[in-house]
Amino acid sequence: MIDAAVRLLSLLNQLDLCSRRVILEFEEGEIGAMGYLNRMGFFDHLSPNVEVSPERPTYSGADRYGGMNASLVEIARINPKNRDQNLLSRLTEALMQSCGHRGDAAELEGAAWTIFAELIDNIFSHSQTPIDGYAALQLYQRGNNLSVAVSDSGLGIMETLRPTLKTESPTLARLSDLELLVEIFRQGISRHGADRGCGLKGSAAKAIKFRAKLDVRLPTSRVLLVPSEDGYRPNTAYCYDSLPLIWGTHICFNFSLH
Amino acid sequence: MKLMNENHSTIKLCDYMVSPEGWGRSQGREVYGKLIDFVEANPGVTIFKISLEGVRRVDFSFASEALIELARRYRGRKAFYFSTPIDPDMIENLDAAAEKKGQPLMVWNKDEYSIIGMNPSQGASDALKFALQHESIRAAEFVSANPKVSIANASMKFKQLWQQGFLLRREDISGSGGTEYVYYRIK
Repeated sequence: MIDAAVRLLSLLNQLDLCSRRVILEFEEGEIGAMGYLNRMGFFDHLSPNVEVSPERPTYSGADRYGGMNASLVEIARINPKNRDQNLLSRLTEALMQSCGHRGDAAELEGAAWTIFAELIDNIFSHSQTPIDGYAALQLYQRGNNLSVAVSDSGLGIMETLRPTLKTESPTLARLSDLELLVEIFRQGISRHGADRGCGLKGSAAKAIKFRAKLDVRLPTSRVLLVPSEDGYRPNTAYCYDSLPLIWGTHICFNFSLH
Repeated sequence: MKLMNENHSTIKLCDYMVSPEGWGRSQGREVYGKLIDFVEANPGVTIFKISLEGVRRVDFSFASEALIELARRYRGRKAFYFSTPIDPDMIENLDAAAEKKGQPLMVWNKDEYSIIGMNPSQGASDALKFALQHESIRAAEFVSANPKVSIANASMKFKQLWQQGFLLRREDISGSGGTEYVYYRIK
């Protein structure tokens, strides 16, 4: 559920930026969701203006327990103005500490590294966000599933792409958001022209090898792409419309590691 | 006349990178600029081997901006190739980036080769295969080995392969005194 956590984190920080008063209530205190969120470093990245009830944790669970748990959870901040060159190494090395013994460890490491590289670079290049983005990974306890998520609070992939498509590619411009999203991952589409856009396409190609589901949250919709025999296709996608507004693009690959 | 491999140099990519991991468009563009400086500082060199020794990873965006764009910029005039061993994940990323830009690149393993980025058209693949077995060839030599192919057709195939970036070529004087092109493999 780390993708939900970073989306929530982005939303709360967006609301704070818009001067909204936000109170987070955790009825079960630290024994419930609050403890889980603290473990992954949620409160380390949450704006200090957001109130937490009954109270903010007194310590960072990520600092205290980081690296001590078989079910790995990491959230890393992405500040577009301050590029952290070692971020990718840290994330993938943490992943390999937990699943470096696998027969396909090298391929998994390469896939996770490339996906993080492309998604994080998209934040630097496209999102024009005043709020930090987040990269997160979670390896589930039995090691059968891996989530790789990147969340930004920028304009959103459709908002940056569609204006160019109207003039550059009317055929693509006529597609629905769902169809266009599928094509972004299938053929690679960029507002900068036909010879760009291989980042998301290539990331999807690597994820497909692990039968990864792809979950994309757009400002008011969410698309869940399930791999079919020949990759991601519109007819195997689930689309949820009219959702509460969250700015940005929030992408999560869920790898199946059986 | 000098052979192409006399004008050969090696670019050690890691010397131009800030870390062994190349990722992102901006980093790729920085490296691209440095590589252009190197290429321009060696005006007599036409073929560059790109050594990936010391490079741990490259993502699609870095590969596209730094390496594929470099090959595309000089297509037809200078050329770049890789030699094995290369990490399979890195080859996959280079291949995808090259495919998106329609730029072929040779990967040599001694005398064996593979091509990443794009394949030649079906009609020109025999001509390319023939050319890659020789350091340099003329269309007439291909016709001698394949009598069913006309000289005009062979010339067209080689010209296409040169334009697409599979081969280099240089003007020469034919036996009859006219202009003839010599095509060179990128190795």
